[in-house]
Amino acid sequence: MPKTGAKLLRLVLWGLLALASLAHAQGVQITDDRGVRVALPQAPQRIVSLLPSLTETVCELGQCHRLVGVDRYSNYPASVRRLPQLGGGLDPQIESVVALRPDVVLMSTSSRAAARLEALGLKVVALDTKTAADAKRVLGTLGQLLSVPDAERVWRAIEAGVGAAAQSLPPRSRPLRVYYEVSAGGYAAGPSSFIGELMGRMGVSNIVTPDLGPFPRINPEYVVRANPDLIMIGAHHASNLSARPGWPQMRAVRDNRVCIFNRDESDVLVRPGPRMAEAARLMARCIASKGAP
Amino acid sequence: MSGVRSAWLALALALTATVLAVVGIGVGSTGWASVWGAWHDPVAAQILWDIRLPRTLGAWVAGALLGLAGAVAQGLFRNPLADPYLLGSASGAALAVALTLAWWGGSPFAAAWLVRLGMTGAAFAGAVLGVALTLVLARGVQHTLRLLLAGVIVGVVLGAARDLVTIAQPDTLQAMQGFMLGSTGFVGWPAVGVMAGALLAGALAAAALGRVLDGLALGEATASSLGLPLPAARLALVAVLALCTGAAVAQTGLIAFVGLAAPHLVRSIVKTTHTRLVLLSAAMGGLLLMAADVLARWLLAPQELPVGVLTAALGGSYLLWLMHRRRAAGGVL
Amino acid sequence: MNAPRQAPALQAQDLCVTLGERQALRGVSLAFAPGRWTCIAGPNGAGKSTLLKALAGLLPHQGQVSLQGRALAQWPGRERARVLAWLGQGEHGAEDLSVWDVAMLGRLPHQGWLASPSEADRQAVEQALRATQAWEWRQRPMGALSGGERQRVLLARLLAVQAEVMLMDEPLANLDPPHQADWWHLVREQVGQGRTVVSVLHEVGMALLADDLVVLRQGQVAYAGPAQVPEAHRALEAVFEHRITIQPVGQRWVALPI
Repeated sequence: MPKTGAKLLRLVLWGLLALASLAHAQGVQITDDRGVRVALPQAPQRIVSLLPSLTETVCELGQCHRLVGVDRYSNYPASVRRLPQLGGGLDPQIESVVALRPDVVLMSTSSRAAARLEALGLKVVALDTKTAADAKRVLGTLGQLLSVPDAERVWRAIEAGVGAAAQSLPPRSRPLRVYYEVSAGGYAAGPSSFIGELMGRMGVSNIVTPDLGPFPRINPEYVVRANPDLIMIGAHHASNLSARPGWPQMRAVRDNRVCIFNRDESDVLVRPGPRMAEAARLMARCIASKGAP
Repeated sequence: MSGVRSAWLALALALTATVLAVVGIGVGSTGWASVWGAWHDPVAAQILWDIRLPRTLGAWVAGALLGLAGAVAQGLFRNPLADPYLLGSASGAALAVALTLAWWGGSPFAAAWLVRLGMTGAAFAGAVLGVALTLVLARGVQHTLRLLLAGVIVGVVLGAARDLVTIAQPDTLQAMQGFMLGSTGFVGWPAVGVMAGALLAGALAAAALGRVLDGLALGEATASSLGLPLPAARLALVAVLALCTGAAVAQTGLIAFVGLAAPHLVRSIVKTTHTRLVLLSAAMGGLLLMAADVLARWLLAPQELPVGVLTAALGGSYLLWLMHRRRAAGGVL
Repeated sequence: MNAPRQAPALQAQDLCVTLGERQALRGVSLAFAPGRWTCIAGPNGAGKSTLLKALAGLLPHQGQVSLQGRALAQWPGRERARVLAWLGQGEHGAEDLSVWDVAMLGRLPHQGWLASPSEADRQAVEQALRATQAWEWRQRPMGALSGGERQRVLLARLLAVQAEVMLMDEPLANLDPPHQADWWHLVREQVGQGRTVVSVLHEVGMALLADDLVVLRQGQVAYAGPAQVPEAHRALEAVFEHRITIQPVGQRWVALPI
């Protein structure tokens, strides 16, 4: 009798432990980029995302169906365009967000709306995605939040894609010198930005030095002096490159070693997120076709 | 008697504001459905009581703060083009917000401190510091013209500093733009409480100092000869300006035109002494911003227009009509 | 100056005022007896307005100004404003206020901070507006008045203070002859009630009607004494470089250009 009693007790204890661990596994707890701990009783079923890269990450983790609302800049994958649009990421329409009854709201750290939404009782997870390391971390955090078991695998696939794109390029004796112009007004992509990191992975060298920061505003004269081998630029501000003083004489412009990315391609290259492999492929294609021999 | 007309105007403003407030709680992404559903749906009730109502009332209070500050500025500087942002309050607040955004992702120490202060606290501190800088530059409040010049200089210099910050950190550009355009979208009950407190304090002080503003109407020498304590009164009026403008800007960003237009709108209806003028300007400013907020939510629901565009459209078109009517009647303007 | 039979209502001792680089007043010493009307005359730029402002305590100065025997600096602001009233030259502004509101501004030294006008205030304003014939249109805004009407309202503002000492700078600006005559009668009435009036006047003919005359030239006193004696007339002719001559007409004098 005492022996079976002890056995029973052990069984009950194990059972309780199992139940407890099950309950614990059901609840979700993460720390966002503001340092705020967000705890949810279970994985969120209704998600509002107010940053395009976060929208893409959620979909990459296979949880697109849980999105109930996005910001007006989220446009990939195409299915999210049918979702209700809640304004810009930095100043969303509070009422529209609340009316959707989300379990969690994903947004960037530099938005004022976070405090207001939290005051209204919503759970807010603020994440920053500026570099490739950020993209990896965000993938892990969101994987934890959405209780997706193997976020690591997703990241490995992305990494493999980037590696493949880099390997597809022929080896060179000296690296290509590249200038990437991010937006009108001469903002260049520095080595510490996401694009700069991609360029590093592709084995090209950036004419912008690291001490200038991630997105320095470059004097056009600097570009002429640096005389890059290849220029990458978005279509919506590539209108008149030869009108810029000194540029028509540049070797890259003369020999048409200019890659012009259209709107969709620019989106892929600029957003640090799960489409990194595709960005790497775009860049590799540009280098292969327009890079100097 | 201007007293009777003032009373009628006050009543008209109060009634219109009440009507607009009721309309305001019915306007938004879900329209009147939220109103009917508020009885049994907690989310709809939350939308009504925690989002629409404080936002509508907050728009009124912020507009009242700006209208009050505008009337004080125009009386203090005896200049009908004066607005509450003259003494460097707007540029100070904008610079503080730019720095907050730039350092947000920076050092962890700064981030922790800034999170506690919040963007609104930073904006308020920036506004007050901007005015303080103007006072230091003008070496006190002795000469109104020097004060005005110092305010313009501070505005330009701090604006340039803000531009430098946004260039150094271009990802703050979009957030700054949102702040500069102004928005009533983030106003909750705590914000309404803070602004209401500032409005009460500012209104009492400005009403008490209304006689000083009247005395100043005939010139500073005359005001001084009437025994008015000019330096102390000017300092108090500048403090009222800083407090009211700072409180409004901190919660709603830089909404243009309300502070400039509200006193003119009041003066076009009734000509009266400053005590009544500042209070009526507050009521008019509140009505103007509240109307702009309701329209911003209504015209393209569920999308929202920037509220600053609507205040300019509403106030500006009324002033244009006024000018046209005066010219038709053969007036000077 | 006559030996004053009582303490002077207003007195300046060695008054020096510097405006920018220029010394506007140099060592001016004057005593204004109560119950008399003094006119300050002199050529342009002599310092007349400056003297009046300094006497009202509105300009920084060296030397001393005393009001009713006490130094001006020792008077608390509102008390001083109840006893000494000043009307400036060509005051503009207040276009939106009504005539009644502007006249009521004169009662500011008598009112508390958040107080509304009392019965005494209302009576004083009515009296002042009737005295300047502005009562009938007391609701009109200042912006709608002619130059002369505006000046009368500003005078009413001064009168409403009911001060013992009244300083007026060019009070007759824009006034037509009937209203100039009204002003003269008003001053005589106030002086008859024991008040002290000091006015800066361009109209030499009106200045000749005063009790006392102060002639200023280049910031210094050229003459201070009774107005209706030959010395005063000669001093006036001299300071205007003998471009005028003062002639008797009946009981009074007139100034004629040469």
